[in-house]
Amino acid sequence: MNTNLETFKYDNRIVRAFAIATVIWGLVGFSAGLLIACQLFWPDLNLNLQYTTFGRLRPLHTNAVIFAFVGNGMFMGIYYSLQRLCKARMFNDTLSWINFWGWQAIIVSAAVTLPLGLTTSKEYAELEWPIDIAIAVVWVVFAVNLFGTILKRREKHLYVAIWFYIATAITVAMLHIVNSLEIPATAFKSYSVYAGVQDALVQWWYAHNAVAFFLTTSYLGLMYYFLPKAAERPVFSYRLSIIHFWALIFIYIWAGPHHLLYTALPDWAQSLGMAFSVMLIAPSWGGMLNGLLTLRGAWNKVREEPMLKFMVVAVTAYGMATLEGPMLSVKSVNALSHYTDWTIAHVHTAALGWNGFLTFSVLYWLYPRLYNTKLYSVKLANWHFWLGLLGMMFYVIPMYWSGITQGLMWKQFTSDGFMQYPNFLETVLQLIPMYKLRAIGGTFYLVGAWIMAYNLYKTAKSGVFVTEVEVQAPSLKSQPEHPEEHHPWGHRWIESKPMVLTGFALVAVAIGGLVEFIPMWIIKENVPTIASVKPYTPLEVLGRDIYIREGCVGCHSQMIRPFRSETERYGEYSKAGEFVYDHPFLWGSKRTGPDLHRIGGKYPDAWHFNHMDDPRLVSPGSIMPRYPWLLSQKLETNSLPARIGALRKVGVPYPDGFEATAQLNLEAQQKKIVENLKQGAITNAPADREIIALVAYLQRLGTDIKVKPAAPAAPGAPAPAPAVPAAPKTAQLDTPNQTRN
Amino acid sequence: MNDNPQEPKLLEHDADGIRELDNLLPRWWVWLFYGCIAFAVGYLVYYHVLKAGPLQAAEYDTEWKAGEALKSAALAKFEATITTLTPSQDKAVLAQGQQIFLTYCAPCHRPDGGGLVGPNLCDDYWIHGSNYVDNLKVIINGVPDKGMLTWRGILKPSEVQAVASHIYTLRGTKPPNPKPREDQAPKPTGPSPFE
Repeated sequence: MNTNLETFKYDNRIVRAFAIATVIWGLVGFSAGLLIACQLFWPDLNLNLQYTTFGRLRPLHTNAVIFAFVGNGMFMGIYYSLQRLCKARMFNDTLSWINFWGWQAIIVSAAVTLPLGLTTSKEYAELEWPIDIAIAVVWVVFAVNLFGTILKRREKHLYVAIWFYIATAITVAMLHIVNSLEIPATAFKSYSVYAGVQDALVQWWYAHNAVAFFLTTSYLGLMYYFLPKAAERPVFSYRLSIIHFWALIFIYIWAGPHHLLYTALPDWAQSLGMAFSVMLIAPSWGGMLNGLLTLRGAWNKVREEPMLKFMVVAVTAYGMATLEGPMLSVKSVNALSHYTDWTIAHVHTAALGWNGFLTFSVLYWLYPRLYNTKLYSVKLANWHFWLGLLGMMFYVIPMYWSGITQGLMWKQFTSDGFMQYPNFLETVLQLIPMYKLRAIGGTFYLVGAWIMAYNLYKTAKSGVFVTEVEVQAPSLKSQPEHPEEHHPWGHRWIESKPMVLTGFALVAVAIGGLVEFIPMWIIKENVPTIASVKPYTPLEVLGRDIYIREGCVGCHSQMIRPFRSETERYGEYSKAGEFVYDHPFLWGSKRTGPDLHRIGGKYPDAWHFNHMDDPRLVSPGSIMPRYPWLLSQKLETNSLPARIGALRKVGVPYPDGFEATAQLNLEAQQKKIVENLKQGAITNAPADREIIALVAYLQRLGTDIKVKPAAPAAPGAPAPAPAVPAAPKTAQLDTPNQTRN
Repeated sequence: MNDNPQEPKLLEHDADGIRELDNLLPRWWVWLFYGCIAFAVGYLVYYHVLKAGPLQAAEYDTEWKAGEALKSAALAKFEATITTLTPSQDKAVLAQGQQIFLTYCAPCHRPDGGGLVGPNLCDDYWIHGSNYVDNLKVIINGVPDKGMLTWRGILKPSEVQAVASHIYTLRGTKPPNPKPREDQAPKPTGPSPFE
């Protein structure tokens, strides 16, 4: 009847490109995970290379899985479904390919720079500033392509999947840009503009919502397209879609501080994080319900269709992880779980189950359609399913066991009020069998993924690639005006106005961050200043940068929580004012090794020297890798003035012209450490090695609040003006000086 | 929210062939949502408006006081008895003592007790008294001026006894390259360059 039919073609090439990248990066990401999992019970597995230590490869694993595997999976699913839901080809093919190749180039640069130790250390935002800029550009290209396609659509109303895509596009851009604000010091080194508590708040607002909007909303969108497609059933409830979408994106943003419970973050912000996390249960479960209940009447298909099996496990894992997340956000639970493998179990339920299985599900559905054929082997897909599921079980159950075991051991007191397990290492050695089991789980999961890769390859070989699909639809303008379909909630209207929907979504995702950030910026009481806390000395700055380069933060926290079990073990609990010069903050999120915030002065310099050379020499059984290169590599000091200058720009009060004397200051402190090492029977340590800088930093950690305000300046040191960095703290450096309440 | 008590209807629209039902929100889900919101509001009001519950610093103080009371009592009991203690000969105790020594003492005194930053524990010269009881007191109280930590409250009483017993067995062993004796009064050398 309609004579205004337009003929156009869906672009399958770009979908296939993303699909292939998804499979390849998935295998890379899982392999990296397995390697570092094995390093936790086999520390020499880095082969004594600095490029392959746990600290440097851990961000490689997380980046590969999140941004390479899931990122490409998201683009694959969006580029396929968006065209069909909009009845339009992608807005611009060139932009599509810039999106593809740009994203792959970013991944490759991550895979090169992270092992080299070029990292900001901010979790899931480790890539340094030039790559940050590239990410922002490519993401904007994606967003333009997304909105361009939406605007030239031939379908008046946006389906729920597209709402989630829009939320993903705008929120990830916001998160990435705000969290990555940094001042470059060199071509590959920058300092976060935020310090300490504020940096922590911004970082976890980012990281939490990267989970929410990179790993969750995008994949919920995919679920809303591919699940009903495969099940050939209508979606369970339109109104549930509406309420859970808006509630989810509004509430999620607020919950970031639940990563910082019982830290130096002000109580009010912690409470907001916890309260909003609890409120998040129902909106998250709304998505799970809409997925699982859509399968009503189609469960027989789940038995036969591997794609749906994967989908059901994915959606169930989503439900479990989004119930567990709020539980872990309850302060009293978090007191036990935080810093332990419980968190690792939690995120892997979500990553292996929700993201992994949903990606596999979409791949199994797409390949036969892209190649106009049947899946090569349903049997192999079933093998993959069971191996993957078994792998998940072998992964998460030992990690729960390990997390709860260690959490309880850390907190155990004797009836006399003494720590039952004062030696941290004792609690680590308990976990080794669990780490081995976890590696078995990871192996199963990886083997399953290889089987999938083979199966998809054979599927592709058995068919002919359909590069483009020709379709016809009337243009939006020529479509007759139907009366708006009646729905009591009136949401149909906004679904036909993409820019209005985007505007509302932007407001919804911006509020939470603003309410938490602004008071933290403008109300001084949130970070009470401590007069004796001074900026780091030049040598300590370089030592800290080595600490960042080596990824020490991946295993060591610098945040002693206000529990007696922590203050007995580590010393006075950490105060907000102690971190005002920490660009970036290094609080960490996991204690595979002990907290280091009060490590300063706890051991002689020689102990650190020997310990970094070979941890097992001084702590038999330790699972920390050796760092012998720190003893041989020369400390790079050419960039010292640039680093001091960049730090001043982000707010560290180094006096003007300090760059000129920084080198002398540095050499004086090096000399002192070399002298200290001699007392510890290390007579041959050259002053210009990296280890000296690292020792300087470690010995400074957490010692500033122990300095008596009235203490006279060290004789011979330059008279410290208020803004001058403290002279090397010889008193703390020389003598073990442990304060315990 | 449930303004439509009838059977779910299949909505007219479709998106690439996907249809949508308009099922009512599951009752239990709605109540779950309300319940969580009520909890969240109640929590915020209780702690931050009414200020009825302790925040983390206050919570810590309470916990710390209770723990320290227990510990101080145990320590006081132990310290009252130390003059009567003698080095243990028990193999298990000595093995435990060695383990503690290696973990906590070796960084400064060397695993064989020959001395590094801290003094040699194997010779006959003792800076703070050579009696077993003197050793116990140094371990418990430390010598803050010279960098010896206080282990009071870190090591349990039984562990102090174990590690001191182990140290007692080191006497007379002759480790290679020991730290020279330091029992003399420190010479007046003027301010140290590190002060």
